Amino acid sequence: MTAAAQDPGSRKEPYWVMVIDLQKCIGCDTCTVSCKAENRTPPGISYNVVMQMEIGEFPHTRRTYVPRPCMQCDRPPCVGVCPVGATYKGESGVVIIDDDRCIGCRYCIAACPYGARSFDFGENYDEMIAFTEVQAPEYGVEQGPRRKGEAPIGTVRKCTFCLHRINRGEEPACVETCIGDARYFGDLNDPDSAVAKLAASPRAFRLKEEMGTQPRVIYLK
Amino acid sequence: MSALTREKAALRLADEHPAPEPSKHLRAGWYALLAVLLIAGGAAIFHRTVNGLATTNLTSITPWGAWIAFYIYFVGLSAGAFLLSSLIYVFGMTRFERLGRMALLTALVAMIVALSFVLLDLGRMERALSALVYFNWLSPLAWEMRFYLIYILLLAAELWFAMRVDLVRRADRSRLARWLSFGSKSLDTARDHRMLRILGTIGVPIAIFGVHGGTGTIFAIVKARGMWFSALTPIVFIVSALVSGTALLALLYILRQKALKRPVDGGMVADLGRLLGAFLLVDLGLLFYEYLVPLLSMAPHDTGVMHLMMEGPYAWTFWILQLGIGMVAPAIILMTRLRESVPLTAVAALMVVVGIVGVRFNIVVPPLITPALEGLPAGQYFPSAVEWWSSAGIIAMGLLLFSLAADLLPVDEDVHVIGGTAHD
Repeated sequence: MTAAAQDPGSRKEPYWVMVIDLQKCIGCDTCTVSCKAENRTPPGISYNVVMQMEIGEFPHTRRTYVPRPCMQCDRPPCVGVCPVGATYKGESGVVIIDDDRCIGCRYCIAACPYGARSFDFGENYDEMIAFTEVQAPEYGVEQGPRRKGEAPIGTVRKCTFCLHRINRGEEPACVETCIGDARYFGDLNDPDSAVAKLAASPRAFRLKEEMGTQPRVIYLK
Repeated sequence: MSALTREKAALRLADEHPAPEPSKHLRAGWYALLAVLLIAGGAAIFHRTVNGLATTNLTSITPWGAWIAFYIYFVGLSAGAFLLSSLIYVFGMTRFERLGRMALLTALVAMIVALSFVLLDLGRMERALSALVYFNWLSPLAWEMRFYLIYILLLAAELWFAMRVDLVRRADRSRLARWLSFGSKSLDTARDHRMLRILGTIGVPIAIFGVHGGTGTIFAIVKARGMWFSALTPIVFIVSALVSGTALLALLYILRQKALKRPVDGGMVADLGRLLGAFLLVDLGLLFYEYLVPLLSMAPHDTGVMHLMMEGPYAWTFWILQLGIGMVAPAIILMTRLRESVPLTAVAALMVVVGIVGVRFNIVVPPLITPALEGLPAGQYFPSAVEWWSSAGIIAMGLLLFSLAADLLPVDEDVHVIGGTAHD
């Protein structure tokens, strides 16, 4: 990330990836909470979740935690199925949803192999004062207050890799707040970056690689 | 449509048909039932429009439910009914000729009903026309919206050519017929039949590949979901369309003849029953392979969906509704001499029409209950009251459209009048 920032002329766009070290993840859900705080997602919508998997038979069981943001696939199945082209791969490599165009058919939710997309049913945290007053600037676009009947209500939403934070040189909220430093974010094209070194590790794998979706989230076993 | 005009139209119909009219009570009761369903459905739709999809039991895990199931159900009925009409107008099977106009009308109404379900299902209904403005050529849904539109226009044109000569004949007595004849005067049906054959020939590939095969493709390309991602899916859609469309037409024909106190053509009903039985057999054969291949290959995402469907909380919809009522019981009636009885054929057809609802729900829902990614929560879905009542309302709208058209238009004019020149 730093190299690209110092020498902006060398490449057009950084190849943003996220690396998640499962051995460092303790399943505390801080990423989920900070994501909700950052993106002010309503009830029922979590851009990031932490999945739990139990391995082995009682009493010899072990738990693995697998955080799941949007994979920002390079060959995203959700983009192909959208009838109106409201979701597309942006220049940043982030899969974008144009909530002014989305018709809310939810085909992309059915098509996402990672369950990473949510429909905004219009619910609110009504007990939270001023919850509707500010929305996160999704994909860098200011949304204004959350009003009944106005987008993104009635459309599909998902993790943006905190594009609004990337644009001002910050890491996604989940990466910054991870208490075990299990998450890394950076430019895979920069050979000196932490993510490039970690991605080369034999521990590296991606979810459902056999589907050919080419996810941009790399896990370390 | 005021009651007075309907009454007049009924009288006019009576002029042309010396056959006895249905009892006033039956007709009044039927329209009253539709009115009740329309009011209840309208209230549900109003509630859904104001409060959004939160009024449904849909979630982000199970994003599609009853409305999408009914949508593919009615697309199937439409494609099936249309393909049956093409047997008459394209392939010259004149023994079904008296079903021709009703088949086209059924196909048209079923398609309007199907699109109403899609509209209701959209998160932002006011953007429905965006589906025609913007286009993503990779998306089967984008193609389908265009195919549906072409198909509806084609159905309307074909229905008009099928009825044209009778509209002309009625033009001096009925203002509606005069208006609908669009100034056409000729009583020669040769051109009509040529047009019907041309439109039908264009329509057959559109109905098979565009409309229903295409609807199956919407599901077939979703590699994330078990049991959808199969090249068999579009073919199953086409065959089940033939099954449901044939059954619906047999049922509608028998019920209408009984309600209008007209004689039922037993021979034709038996032929329809044979056809339906053959379609059912092919459907059962496809079902066999559809389930055998994933079971033996032990593909976990497929077998997970099958376990849910066959052993889950709604397994009865598979064993009883889909397999028992929808396939095995009617197949037994239609494969044996029982099919010679008109009432039993009607029962078999009714069972198929009801059972296919189970088929459609089991196509849509179970793959969306099984989590997309191991570790995510499984879904839970049963339609909400709003979903049920709005569905009833939309179906009632379709029945009303059909009934009004059947009351006011020459939908089942005596075929002998035009039959002579049909396919010589």
